Amino acid sequence: MAGADLTNERYRRRQRVWDVVESPYVVHLVLFLAVLFIVTPLVWMLLTSLKTRQGVLAMTYLPLEPTLDAYSRALIDRGFWRAVVNSVIVASASTAIVMVLGTPAGYVFSRYRFPYDNAVFVFVLFTRLFPPIGLVTPYYRIVSTFGLLNTKTGIVIANVYLWLPLVIYIMRNFFITIPTALDEAARVDGCTKVQAFRHVVFPVVLPGFAAGTILTFLYSWREFLFAFTVSTDLQSMTIPVATFLFVGDAGIDWGAMAAAAVVSVIPSALVVIAFNRYIVVGLTGGMKG
Amino acid sequence: MATEEYGRDVGPHGGGVTGRISDWVNDHIRTVLLGPSLVALFVVFIYPAVMLLWLSLLNTRGFGETFEPAYNYERIFTDPTFWNAVENTLVYSFGSLVVSVGAGLVIALALNKVTADRLRNGYTTLILLSWAVPLSIVGVTWRWMFNGQLGVVNRVLLDVGLLSSTFSWLTTSSTAMAVIILADSWSRIPFAAIVLLAGLQSIPQEMYDAAKVDGATSLQTFRNVTLPYLRPSFFVAGLITWMFAFRAFAIPFSTTGGGPGGATETLAIYIHRFGIQLLDYGFASAVAVILVSVTLVVAAGYVYFILERMEEIEV
Repeated sequence: MAGADLTNERYRRRQRVWDVVESPYVVHLVLFLAVLFIVTPLVWMLLTSLKTRQGVLAMTYLPLEPTLDAYSRALIDRGFWRAVVNSVIVASASTAIVMVLGTPAGYVFSRYRFPYDNAVFVFVLFTRLFPPIGLVTPYYRIVSTFGLLNTKTGIVIANVYLWLPLVIYIMRNFFITIPTALDEAARVDGCTKVQAFRHVVFPVVLPGFAAGTILTFLYSWREFLFAFTVSTDLQSMTIPVATFLFVGDAGIDWGAMAAAAVVSVIPSALVVIAFNRYIVVGLTGGMKG
Repeated sequence: MATEEYGRDVGPHGGGVTGRISDWVNDHIRTVLLGPSLVALFVVFIYPAVMLLWLSLLNTRGFGETFEPAYNYERIFTDPTFWNAVENTLVYSFGSLVVSVGAGLVIALALNKVTADRLRNGYTTLILLSWAVPLSIVGVTWRWMFNGQLGVVNRVLLDVGLLSSTFSWLTTSSTAMAVIILADSWSRIPFAAIVLLAGLQSIPQEMYDAAKVDGATSLQTFRNVTLPYLRPSFFVAGLITWMFAFRAFAIPFSTTGGGPGGATETLAIYIHRFGIQLLDYGFASAVAVILVSVTLVVAAGYVYFILERMEEIEV
């Protein structure tokens, strides 16, 4: 009896602790701290980018005389506005190619049986999980052989390798959620198989397609390894690479570097704020299958 | 059968060139829709992957290249900096795994408690921000914050009184490693939190109702309903986080460049150093083959898991 009471007592104490842990105050405190941890580095970059050169060296918290001078040093004096343009071109082209190739492929995996279909699907998954760092050395050689070093094409091709398997997988998972009865109905009504895909099934999967597009754009925008390997030339390098190049300077202009960093974060941040639901769907769409 | 109704030369989609093309497309729908992707993957993936294997068999030290299959692989195991890189990679990847999945779990549980949709979306959006930051920007940001002279971390610690003089975080081995793990986690926490939150939200409400009927306390419910149901998401979040941290290049490279003295040189940086900077691509490829093999063994576990669940859903 006494033993049971004791464990009971211990249990009740634990339950009381748990009630505190679960209370709204603690929940919001946790989330507040998490947001603080995530946002502080970004805010710090923004503040740094608004300081004068002296302000950066003086180590003040806030920019005493806020100025956009650092932005003009990074974007105009260094010419990094071209890197921004390159980034937009590379990310858009990569996203377009990947979505056009990957969406029908995902559809086929969700609908049709064919010889070795599971093996081909596993191959696609493995391509996705293959470490890109492993391909960098041969890729560098191939790119130089074909004269694609320091070109945007070289970066776009790398992005196709990186994101096509992911998109095939995600799109397949979205297509699977749509009943095949829909295709069959379209076929009965006289659609060809392509028409059934394009005019009947595709419109239904549009939210998934949007999620895939947004995800691919963000991934291509933030890619560093291949972009850095292929190009460090102003004609073709992307803005994340350009920002990194500040690190090699003798006396790093931290203000200008922060400005370049802010410029490369802004598009991603806007996409996240505008399309957060789609991103959540896209990120978790990879596991619903 | 169907073709007979239309006569010999006219298929179900009409005659002429367009009709014949659309007939052919209809008969070869899989090839038409899937073929281009597979050809693309063949060119951009299989070609370099086969080349990787081939390069790893070449001796490319010094000038020219000669075929010496065992040369690079033997060299790997006698190179002390290789084992240093292995050790760093393990510390880095497991450090990031523990921090990002641990913090991700706490955040996911907290987010799941927020009932107001708008509030939860607001929190989620803010937390997703660090995920969207380009990886090299993550690196330079943390490099700047932990700068030995001008960094804000030093500034804060000096003001609070925890430090009496500036500390060189990134040129001290142990703190440099801690900083890159933290930077890596900063960028990976959102993914872990989102995946775990999705797992939490997929737990059927009936399970909670049943627990309530049985008179279970909230702690018991958490232990016996929430945690067991969360296991698959936990597995996915952990495996993906670890696998991607194991191969991480951009964050450690742009934060410390592998320094001080190789203390934060991960395998990816090691491969990059030999393959791209020293142009000893034979050796770099051999190291890459080893890294790829390790990852693919782990990936096989993940693929197996996906295929298992695939059948559940398709049937």
